[in-house]
Amino acid sequence: MRRVWENYRVGLLAAVMVISATVVGYFTGLQAPMSRGQLYDSYSNHSVEPPEADSLDATAAIVPATSYRELADVLRARSSVKPRTLEELLPPPRIPQPDSPQTDLPPITMSDKTFALSMRAINRAFNGAPPTIPHPIDQLSDQTCLACHGTGFQMSSLRVSKMSHQMLQNCTQCHVEQQPRHLPATEFRASTFVGLPAPLEGPRAYPGAPPQIPHTTWMRIDCTSCHGPSSWRGLQTTHPCRENCLQCHTPAAAMEQVKIDPQPRFLEPPNIVGDQ
Amino acid sequence: MTTACSDRRIPDNSTLARRQFIKASAMAMATTMAAGKATGALPILPAATVVSETSLDVVWNKAPCRFCGTGCHVQVGVQNGRVVAIAGDRDAEVNKGLLCVKGYHVGGILYGQDRLTHPLLKVGDHYRKITWDEAIDVIADRIMAAPSRFAFYGSGQWTIPEGYAAQKFMKGGLGNNHIDPNARLCMASAVTGFLATYGVDEPAGCYDDLDHCDVLIMWGNNPAEMHPVLFSRVTDRRLRGEQVLMIDIGTRRTRTTEKCQHYLEMKGHGDLAIANGIAHQLIKNKTYNRQFVEKYCNFKAPDDANPNLHGRTITFEEYQKLLEPYTPEYVQQVAGVHAEQIVMLGELFGNPNLRITSLWCMGMNQHTRGTAINNLVHGIHLLSGHFGRPGDAPTSLTGQPSACGTVREVGTLAHGLPGGLVVSNPQHRAEAERIWNLPAGRINPNPGYHTVLMWEKFCTPSDQGGDIDTIWVQVTNPGQSLPNLNKLFRPKADLKEKFLIVSEVYPTATTQLADLILPSAMWVEKNGMFGNSERRTQQWFKMVEPAGEARDDCWQTIAVARRLFDRGLDGMKDRDGRFIFDVRDQDGNVVAVWDWEHYYNVNVDEFLFNEYRAFSRFKHKDLAPYAEYVKARGLRWPVLEVDGHWRETKFRFVEGADPYVATGKGIQFYHSSTNDDRAQIWFHPWEPPAETPCDEFPLYLTTGRVLEHWHTGTMTRRIPQLSRAMPGAYLEIHPEDARQAGISSGDMVDVESRRGTIRLPAWISGRGYPPQGTVFVPFFDEMHLINDLTLDAHDPFSKEPDYKKSAVRIKKASGQ
Repeated sequence: MRRVWENYRVGLLAAVMVISATVVGYFTGLQAPMSRGQLYDSYSNHSVEPPEADSLDATAAIVPATSYRELADVLRARSSVKPRTLEELLPPPRIPQPDSPQTDLPPITMSDKTFALSMRAINRAFNGAPPTIPHPIDQLSDQTCLACHGTGFQMSSLRVSKMSHQMLQNCTQCHVEQQPRHLPATEFRASTFVGLPAPLEGPRAYPGAPPQIPHTTWMRIDCTSCHGPSSWRGLQTTHPCRENCLQCHTPAAAMEQVKIDPQPRFLEPPNIVGDQ
Repeated sequence: MTTACSDRRIPDNSTLARRQFIKASAMAMATTMAAGKATGALPILPAATVVSETSLDVVWNKAPCRFCGTGCHVQVGVQNGRVVAIAGDRDAEVNKGLLCVKGYHVGGILYGQDRLTHPLLKVGDHYRKITWDEAIDVIADRIMAAPSRFAFYGSGQWTIPEGYAAQKFMKGGLGNNHIDPNARLCMASAVTGFLATYGVDEPAGCYDDLDHCDVLIMWGNNPAEMHPVLFSRVTDRRLRGEQVLMIDIGTRRTRTTEKCQHYLEMKGHGDLAIANGIAHQLIKNKTYNRQFVEKYCNFKAPDDANPNLHGRTITFEEYQKLLEPYTPEYVQQVAGVHAEQIVMLGELFGNPNLRITSLWCMGMNQHTRGTAINNLVHGIHLLSGHFGRPGDAPTSLTGQPSACGTVREVGTLAHGLPGGLVVSNPQHRAEAERIWNLPAGRINPNPGYHTVLMWEKFCTPSDQGGDIDTIWVQVTNPGQSLPNLNKLFRPKADLKEKFLIVSEVYPTATTQLADLILPSAMWVEKNGMFGNSERRTQQWFKMVEPAGEARDDCWQTIAVARRLFDRGLDGMKDRDGRFIFDVRDQDGNVVAVWDWEHYYNVNVDEFLFNEYRAFSRFKHKDLAPYAEYVKARGLRWPVLEVDGHWRETKFRFVEGADPYVATGKGIQFYHSSTNDDRAQIWFHPWEPPAETPCDEFPLYLTTGRVLEHWHTGTMTRRIPQLSRAMPGAYLEIHPEDARQAGISSGDMVDVESRRGTIRLPAWISGRGYPPQGTVFVPFFDEMHLINDLTLDAHDPFSKEPDYKKSAVRIKKASGQ
């Protein structure tokens, strides 16, 4: 009897092992990627290494969905921001951060400013136009935009501007890609449009007075988008420690499309007679 | 006139120089950056340019955007006689300060380097510059030779006064009804849908519905790309914490689908079955609004023996019986959507507490059963009582800025007269002749040729029944936008007796075959008025001078009319022998507006609009005097004077909102085709499309637009920012279809239908995701004319062709 039980236990053990192996194997098999040889990576085909035309079997599996394993490579391949030299990997000159409100940054020179404005003008049709997108984009989702532009940052090779306006959905309604990967460039028609340039500075009451804002504040509720740490040096505020910008810098009513009369009006002066 | 209009100074060289310097610096910087030397020499501005220049010397003025039918207002910034900037107009109710990428760049449309600047006459195989005077003579000669074989082809981009002038010139002057607009290809089915349902055209609701709806259903519509400002008006509500259920019914996944909670992927023409399925659910579950239906509605079915927009009246029981086959399972079978999705839609419409808005555009209109599907969607809103409260509205959108204002209201259609009147009605003709002060009988009672027929006759030899010899095209590009171009446009090239006149701003696919090209002023180079999708009439003033010798289309029409008058053509005279465009100044003296030198001595728009206003009363589409529109960011008609103020109407047929609804009526369809203040709920059966895939042509081709380009791309493709974002057309294809054809992204593909072939690059899983068996090609690219392939089959009532369902086959192009 005991011997039968022993045999039975051995058999049971063997059965459990076989079943476990099957189950594990089954699910492992499910998750295993397809053979790399059969895959035809459409991304590497077009942007990294164009294969010889006759080396491809046209009937082979093509345009596969990207597996999670390959996602990082694919995204890297799609990004146009690729450091080309070692130099570019070095961090940019550090912006000294003031420790207290008394320590302001050194003044910005005119050349800093014109450089910044020139860089800004590259992807804008005119001052006030929504900037175009200098990198490939996801055609369908806003989330990918917000991942970076929700906060904005600067790193070695990349400057990511912060969204200047309140959160809006449908980013591509206003911002469009400038180097679409999949669309062949065609002949473009020349344009003689010359856009409004960015103002160099706002008017000041006297040297040293806080300048008035020389542009509209509509769709620009976050001043740090352009004047904050992720912006070009020439546009940055010299006093990032002060947070309430509008305390000292006033918008110009004429540029704000305000419904009130932008021309101030006054009471009649006193009617003085007889004083020759 | 505003101060902006008088600002026509010569560009100031120093300012221009500074702008160009900034641009040049930008390019220099870009180059140094690209070379990996970001710390290269900084540009130093010459001392003279370091001025404290603010943007204060820019003069801003309002204008509606030049592109789609949304009708956003922009602020146009003009400096030294040139448009330099655009901003969203914060006072505009339509867009509340926002625009889309096309709108922000609309100023660039004036400045393509290849603007047409001289009248050009074709001589042999080339063109010769001629004077305007000669050009007007050429047109007058063609018309005098055969006035009844002349046709005018316009568009929903005509301003209201331009369309009105063309309409009066043709129907009131020449007694010739061969005038039709490209809007025939765009929203004619919406018109017949409104007429058959309410007895009068245009939506009852307005964009305010988008702020109030709980459910938004988009029928074959991709507003995320085509009407982005309206779309984000809804999606942005969610960001503020509001709940909006968004449902996309379509034939391909788009950017719109991504924002929707539900997506019903249907087969072509599945919409007919879906709408019937919803009505079936409402009746089966007894959740239709019985009170609403009994008070305000009749039932109709098509009269097969005598097809017309009146149909035959049926009882509720007959209606119920006709709907019986449309069970969710049957709808699933013919439309390809899930049965549960039909049940869900039935439950939503059956819930009286929800506010439901339906939006549609080309998906329902470019449809060989376009009138039917328009009727059905109105029908389910009426049956369920989802009508007449803010947020409860069936609303069609238009693709052109003045499809409603110029085409539907001015009636520039082969059968129409201004104000919703028709040429076939003797009373209507008499009214028009009275307002125009014409001798009785001047207006021809027979409708002219609709678009497809007009171009077919033009492309048929004159001795074989092609009785249109000359077409004058204004503000549109039929050489690219007509369907089946190999039948309806290209044959003209070999027909020497035919003469094509094209008023244009840029060289296009249409000017390629033109015998006479006239350079036109565009947008803020002229005064204008548009009417948008929500019955809003808008006005703007000329702000800059036109390019070269370009002149207003309206002037061109009046100048030709005057030349005919001078040559003694009776039609150009009114009953008293005066010129039909008898424009007078304040002192009552005739102004020679046919002479370009004097055209802007008076505001011709104001004169024509105030004359046209008289027509707006007939169908209760009352317009205010011109001066009111100068002050407003558009007004929605009917606009009536109440206590000295001009009051617009947001919701038509609704007591309290619409001044024409009698007190105590609640809802009153006061133009009912059955004369009983009731709307018609139609039954139409599901029918298959005109062309379906077969073994030989196994794929459906659907065509459409993309965000960056507007229609045939003649304007947007000249804006670098838009053109770089979307350089050319492409074939959107499902990965499995691509795999079977051995195609990968970027490969050149030959797409072939029974009517033509084109070659263009594939883009797999690109902007949109068509299902297996469907391919999509946008129509903006003049180098890839997808309308070589499309079908010219059209709706029997609206005569609008179906661009969305052609059968094609694809093949990887050889030599790849």
